[in-house]
Amino acid sequence: MKEFFAIKISGPAGTGIIQAGETFSKALNRLGFYTLVYPEYPSRIRGGDNNVQIVFSPEKVFAPQTKIDLLLAFDQQCFSNHEKEVKKGGLAVDFSKVDLKIEQDLAKNSAALGFLWKILGLDIGALQKQIKEDFKVNQNILELNLKAVETGYGRGEAAGLSLVGEADKNILNLTGNEALVKGILAGGCEFAAIYPMTPINSILTFLAQEKSIILFRPEDEIAGICSAIGASYAGKRAMVATSGGGFSLMVEGLGMAGIAEIPIVVILGQRTGPSTGIATYSSQADLKFAISAGQGEFPRIVLAPGDLAELYQTGTEAFNLAEVYQVPVILLADKYLAESRFSLSEKGFQKIKVSVNRGKLFNYKNYNHYNRYQITPDGISPRAFPGQTTFLTNSYEHDEKGFSVEDKETRDKMMAKRMKKLAGLAGGYEVYGKGNGTILVSWGSTKGALLGFIKKHPEYNLIHFWRVWPFPKKAEEFLKKSKKIIVVEANFSGQFADIIEQKIQRRVERVLKDDGRPFFGEEIEKLIANCK
Amino acid sequence: MKEGNKLNTGQIPTWCPGCGNYLVLEALKKAFSDLNLNPKDIVVTYDIGCAGNMVNNLNVCGFATLHGRSIPVAVGIKMANPKLTVIAQGGEGGVISEGGNHLIHAAQRNDNITVIINNNFVFGLTAGQASAATPKGLKTKSTPEGNPHEPLSGIDIAAVSGATFLARTLASDLEKTTEILKQAIKHKGFSLVEIIQPCVIWVKEYEDWKKDIKYFEKPFKEIKEIIGRKNYLGILFVNQ
Repeated sequence: MKEFFAIKISGPAGTGIIQAGETFSKALNRLGFYTLVYPEYPSRIRGGDNNVQIVFSPEKVFAPQTKIDLLLAFDQQCFSNHEKEVKKGGLAVDFSKVDLKIEQDLAKNSAALGFLWKILGLDIGALQKQIKEDFKVNQNILELNLKAVETGYGRGEAAGLSLVGEADKNILNLTGNEALVKGILAGGCEFAAIYPMTPINSILTFLAQEKSIILFRPEDEIAGICSAIGASYAGKRAMVATSGGGFSLMVEGLGMAGIAEIPIVVILGQRTGPSTGIATYSSQADLKFAISAGQGEFPRIVLAPGDLAELYQTGTEAFNLAEVYQVPVILLADKYLAESRFSLSEKGFQKIKVSVNRGKLFNYKNYNHYNRYQITPDGISPRAFPGQTTFLTNSYEHDEKGFSVEDKETRDKMMAKRMKKLAGLAGGYEVYGKGNGTILVSWGSTKGALLGFIKKHPEYNLIHFWRVWPFPKKAEEFLKKSKKIIVVEANFSGQFADIIEQKIQRRVERVLKDDGRPFFGEEIEKLIANCK
Repeated sequence: MKEGNKLNTGQIPTWCPGCGNYLVLEALKKAFSDLNLNPKDIVVTYDIGCAGNMVNNLNVCGFATLHGRSIPVAVGIKMANPKLTVIAQGGEGGVISEGGNHLIHAAQRNDNITVIINNNFVFGLTAGQASAATPKGLKTKSTPEGNPHEPLSGIDIAAVSGATFLARTLASDLEKTTEILKQAIKHKGFSLVEIIQPCVIWVKEYEDWKKDIKYFEKPFKEIKEIIGRKNYLGILFVNQ
């Protein structure tokens, strides 16, 4: 088969388009295909145009596409919305014109899957198995959907394609949020406070099913971060998850965690701003906000995972970093990364090592002269929890005991103590490729599209930052030695490019977009070519 | 060191001479000792403001938080470790003005914490502006023509939101304040104690609050009997 195949399914909200993307891609995984499912949906619950793009290939899939091979639309409106995206020689189907006799409209999405499956000429057994898996909780609904698959399959006509996957691969299929939740749980998270907001809603849904976690549904994001800080102070590994709007409310809490030295993990799923922006679309425009949010100066770590494995790894590691350094850790994701479905081999996931490190803790031997903010060579003081001994925790400037103070000597000492805590932080980036020409730079979700690009263009290298703050020191040296640097990011001004320019004292090229959509495969080709 | 002094920190309070907070501090220490609580098992989350400066003067697990946020921090602490005695403190500016949303929802959930409102009728530490609980007509730095609004009552808000223990007391009445705090701490569920302590600097000429104050020995059966009664003192409502 060709490199990859791209399908789009489009229909009004409420017709099961997002579910169809999941079922379809997982059925493809069963046949040994890697998949990427990119959903787009408006901010409404019924009607409109929900759509999923499913890209699949026997090899890893890196990015969604602007042009598709096959479109299936549930109605005339959706059909005309996407008809132009179909490649020459591709196929576009208005499913409302296909004569179907299914028992209930509810299963129309399954009929569509059967129909597409036949066009693709794939083994219906794999799709049936996946339907059985997805609808196993309700026998009646399962049978309805199985019938619908069969009906749809009966109506489709094979297009004479020969699509073959690598059958023996065990392929995992997860949304970014699912991978992140797996990481959070592996990282020993014990308390989560989450107020709903796109694109982190499914994190709340998953954690609500998790018995091992104390889940708080706060009245607002302010209560969210404050309660998580309280829980962390009382000894639990604690987190919040939100998007830019909620994070705006959390900023005062972030500063409190900074000065009071309380570990906290903040998952910040970026979406298109400013303000309400485009609520269900993606963005990487909160980078500088995350790095600088809060009055005054305090140390913080900002992570920017770029794929499933990194989401899992940083989801775990965020809690270690927060507790070891006693700082807020912000994990930047975005709507594209959080809600799209990606796939990877099961082996790749199992390789990730997980261990819990709680950092310096209170020792009963020091019971009589314990100081919560003891000055130490690395700036990090042992942490006690209430119930172990009395101690003071303070959002005011304070002395080693935690008493509120205003004198300049103590102020200088405590600022120096806090600001040196992250000096030992290593790593934070990865270099891909063996070329010796231009260096591409990614952070967060642009990693996928750029890995796909350098695979096609091996003369390029990629440096990917999974930690954007503190800026990895060794990466600075690497970039200083590079001839030409192109920073690719989904924001209007080039926020990470600004940071790099400041670090290396040199201009870099910028490939930017801020239209709410991720970088598409063909698009990245053109944009990078324009840099020449 | 004597047993009773375990709760002292040796720091000198920063309050003005005659401030009600000296008595509130005494009442809290007395209540903790009477209840035989180990200081290491007590958490007090402090708001920002005059009463919040108590963080330096009470040797428990004290946590100076943010303006309006002592309640949500306390809620997280109690959820994480229910064995702790958790008290959230704030002035009326912190608990009613800035943090009103948290008061409503902690009462609604009946979170098992005690909230103390140190009601001095003004924003004291910013030098005397009107808060949501400033009496109507009172001239303050921010209302030179007199406060145009009826004051909000923390007890009324908590009552209609679902709080299960409501009490009002005068800081000047050390004995009753101590007893009420003890009952509030022992109460299982959300307890609110409003301590009336008019600011001795910014509202020292305001005397009207003393009119018609009534102390009740027994709680009322229904919240409607206490709504709007800012002059009622004592444990006003309990729902176990």
